[in-house]
Amino acid sequence: MGLFSSRKTHYVDTDILVIGGGFGGSGATYEARYWGRDLKVTLVEKANIERSGAVAHGLSAINCYMGMRWGENRPEDFVRYARGDLMGLVREDLIFDIARHVDGTVHLFEEWGLPIMTNPETGHYLREGKWQVMIHGESYKPIIAEAARKSASEVHNRIMVTHLLMDKTRPNRIAGAVGFNVRDGSFCVFRAKAVIVAAGGASHIFKPRSIGEGAGRTWYAPWSSASAYGLVLRTGARMIQMENRIVLARFKDGYGPVGAWFLLLGAKDSNAYGDDYVAARFEEVKALVGKYAETKPLPTCLRNHAMLQEIKAGKGPIYMQTQPVLDSREKEAIGWEDFLDMTVGQAVVWASQNIDPREKASELITSEPYVMGSHATCSGAWASGPEDCAPADYQWGYNRMTTVEGLFGAGDTIGGSAHKFSSGSFTEGRIAGKAAVRYVMDLAGDTPQVDEAQIAQLQQEIFQPLENYRAGRHEIVAGSVAPSYISPLHGLQRLEKIMDEYVGGISTFYVTSEPMLNRGLELLTMLKEDLAHIGAEDIHQLQRAWELHHRVWTSEAVLRHTLYRQETRWPGYYYRGDFPQLDDSQWHTFTASRYDAATGEWHLDKLPVHHIIS
Amino acid sequence: MFTTNPFTPLAAFISPALMQGYILLMIAAVAAGTAFDLLHDNKARFFLQDRQRSRALAVRQLHAPDIAAIAIRTAVHDVATFGEFCNQQRRISHALMFYGFVLYVITTLVMVFAFPAAAHTPAALPLLWNLGILLTLIGGYWFFFLLRVNVVHDGHSPWRLVRADLFIVALLGSVSFALLYGLVAATENGTAIKVVAGIYIGFTTLLCVSVPWSKFAHMFYKPVAAFQRRIEEADGSSDLPAPTAKRSERCPHSHT
Amino acid sequence: MPTFTYMTRCDGCGECVDICPSDIMHIDPVYRRSYNVEPNFCWECYSCVKACPQQAIDVRGFADFAPLGHSVRVLREEATGTIAWKIRYRDGRVKEFSFPIRTTPWDSIKSPLDYAAPDAGALNSQLLAHEPTVLKVAALPTLPPFAPLQE
Repeated sequence: MGLFSSRKTHYVDTDILVIGGGFGGSGATYEARYWGRDLKVTLVEKANIERSGAVAHGLSAINCYMGMRWGENRPEDFVRYARGDLMGLVREDLIFDIARHVDGTVHLFEEWGLPIMTNPETGHYLREGKWQVMIHGESYKPIIAEAARKSASEVHNRIMVTHLLMDKTRPNRIAGAVGFNVRDGSFCVFRAKAVIVAAGGASHIFKPRSIGEGAGRTWYAPWSSASAYGLVLRTGARMIQMENRIVLARFKDGYGPVGAWFLLLGAKDSNAYGDDYVAARFEEVKALVGKYAETKPLPTCLRNHAMLQEIKAGKGPIYMQTQPVLDSREKEAIGWEDFLDMTVGQAVVWASQNIDPREKASELITSEPYVMGSHATCSGAWASGPEDCAPADYQWGYNRMTTVEGLFGAGDTIGGSAHKFSSGSFTEGRIAGKAAVRYVMDLAGDTPQVDEAQIAQLQQEIFQPLENYRAGRHEIVAGSVAPSYISPLHGLQRLEKIMDEYVGGISTFYVTSEPMLNRGLELLTMLKEDLAHIGAEDIHQLQRAWELHHRVWTSEAVLRHTLYRQETRWPGYYYRGDFPQLDDSQWHTFTASRYDAATGEWHLDKLPVHHIIS
Repeated sequence: MFTTNPFTPLAAFISPALMQGYILLMIAAVAAGTAFDLLHDNKARFFLQDRQRSRALAVRQLHAPDIAAIAIRTAVHDVATFGEFCNQQRRISHALMFYGFVLYVITTLVMVFAFPAAAHTPAALPLLWNLGILLTLIGGYWFFFLLRVNVVHDGHSPWRLVRADLFIVALLGSVSFALLYGLVAATENGTAIKVVAGIYIGFTTLLCVSVPWSKFAHMFYKPVAAFQRRIEEADGSSDLPAPTAKRSERCPHSHT
Repeated sequence: MPTFTYMTRCDGCGECVDICPSDIMHIDPVYRRSYNVEPNFCWECYSCVKACPQQAIDVRGFADFAPLGHSVRVLREEATGTIAWKIRYRDGRVKEFSFPIRTTPWDSIKSPLDYAAPDAGALNSQLLAHEPTVLKVAALPTLPPFAPLQE
């Protein structure tokens, strides 16, 4: 059967291609339309923008809002907070830039119809904590998706982008992307003047705690398949802080959020005996990281560290004492809404295990590691910052452009800009969208050209897993075991085991070392080679195959960065067993990598951390 | 030709008794097939137990008048007008297939049992017979090519047939060849009549004997399920939250 | 807790197939109704549950850690802008909650083109759309130029 001859190819020509229809992509689309009124703005999403991305369920809080209108916070203070949480290593210019714009984003959301809770006494938004406000956010994503639909020239749902395309007329310049339609299997080529990657970060690169059906209940969406990094790093764009994986302390198994419990309701956590273990372990933490232990609030990784030590000492389970704080019907509703708006799975845990939070405490646990750029972590692409306040070596012409011309990023894609969350990611999308409009206008007639030979080669590669399966089936009678191919799930499970056992997953209590990393790299290299032998049974499995590709490439970046940084900067996220201390003298710096597609080599070096705010 | 009894030419080589016997056999096959589907693997038992479990969770007691009212509402809204469908195209195509098929079956029964070899059949009967066929074919082919969910939403080619297609393919085959037979029956071509009649009977037999494996029986189950659903909402045993919007406003926005 | 589809309720409309962020709701070849093909990639985001016009999709907690006999069901009503939840515990207790989901009508968001076009200078400024007005402060904050400390 003519597998390729019967396959349709669709070409889309556009000015600005936005890859990923989540918060970052929706913000980029909105802003690009505002400034580029006559430009074509194409949004492409592997799922359906109505509910795609990390905010599919909804959210119960907006975690990045200054409240400048009420004098509640200043952007500089937000930079200090995020810097403190990341143990000093953030792009202060990028964070300042988001913090100064984010209030406007939130006000837009309110205008669009997002119900934001108000404080009955002050009339201000109801604060969950210093930087967070409470929302009735079940339809957060549908509301934002509506704005994106009103802004885009066209929205392509169910198209998975697998590779970016480079300009054949000029080195290091973007020209578009390729992918395939997840429903009808057609091949899609996008030719664009500017590309904004706002795809997902990485879940499922480390083995999750639940490995049966429960593997679906990761903290970060299982469809965050590291495409932000898998697409971008292969162009040779510089990436930073890929070692900075995040571990979350959340409600056990369901991974329900803890923010509203700690901050708004004032709940406390404790060990199995009711003790406040964080306070008890303070001196120990200080011995590990020095002055950083005095940062207020205590950095996320250090709180994790205290919990881990407590668990290792056999004093678990760790519990969130929910009972005393639910002393009214309203508070009970807040507690439940916190889950129902954004992690229904935790409500299911309660209902299935007969846990009424008014009567029983709930277990907390540290999660498996994730790599992303928008939370209490900041892995991602090295990007140009705001022209008015970024240091000279942090900017090169267009805000949020990577080191590849015309390739922009927003949300989880961008490194160094921690603590964005939903509103900040949308804001970063807006920043990138505007900058991309400027870039396209500056291009004038100089349109990038795609390389047809490269496209033909990629088409072959993209659909190869279907061919591998069809051909390889002839060798066996039936079943999932074949000598010539593995399924995408097989590949994923091998990846997760490698990362878990060698790169600091839960099975080693997040500890790794140079010998472990080197051994992991050997195995990861063989897995990367085996990617050519993935067998996809159908188009859905083909999508899984390419999600695996993006995950494997991202994992290699994570591993190499972890090897490069010879210190333990974020105990509680991960530990270098061979360099257990924090070392500001050598490592108060960003780690940066560049993958050279021509030679297949990785180049790792350091980039300076400038503190532009005192 | 649309006003003459199409079965009269058939009576030349198949006796009316045989035709009637065949129809009774097909009705029996459908009944037996449905009964088999219900009884094997304890399916009926499961749904009866499920109903008991649900009644035990009832919060409000329903009395005979309430139940009767619910039954009428089910018949009028869910069955007669296919009101459960939120997608209007699917709703209309199902209505066409249903009413078309029912009209065709009733007129077939009347013509075969009351006017099997009659010289003179009231013209209304064959007219309604053909109308029933046309409605079924319009609804059916529309559904087959443009509305089947695996084709429209799951990326299948319309030519890719799966087991779920057994009912629609057998139905379309039977009714398409009924139409063709009706046209051919008006000619004098004995061979053509026999061949087309043979295929018509073949598809009709397939339609009726494949009930244990096809979606045919769902025509009977759906109204029962709709009734059950209304009962559960009324007596409070449903584990769904109580709706506040009117039934007419309950369809969520489609994002397909 | 992955999703499953009730045989008696599904009418094969495909809304769940179209909405699932994980691409795991597909059509069963025997009944032409939906089912979850990959529960280990189900986040239990409830997108399909909420989108189903027949409330035919429900969730059974992940077998890894959720004992049987519970149900967490939802009714999302766009017409009234609310969402209602009914939670039945394994031990039989029931809790119900209802929350708002939107304060404006669906499809009411203005396109960026409905606003006046930005003036020429603004493209090269740091201002984003609708700023500074939408910030509800007088001006966009900025910082003095950065002078690195000489070491």
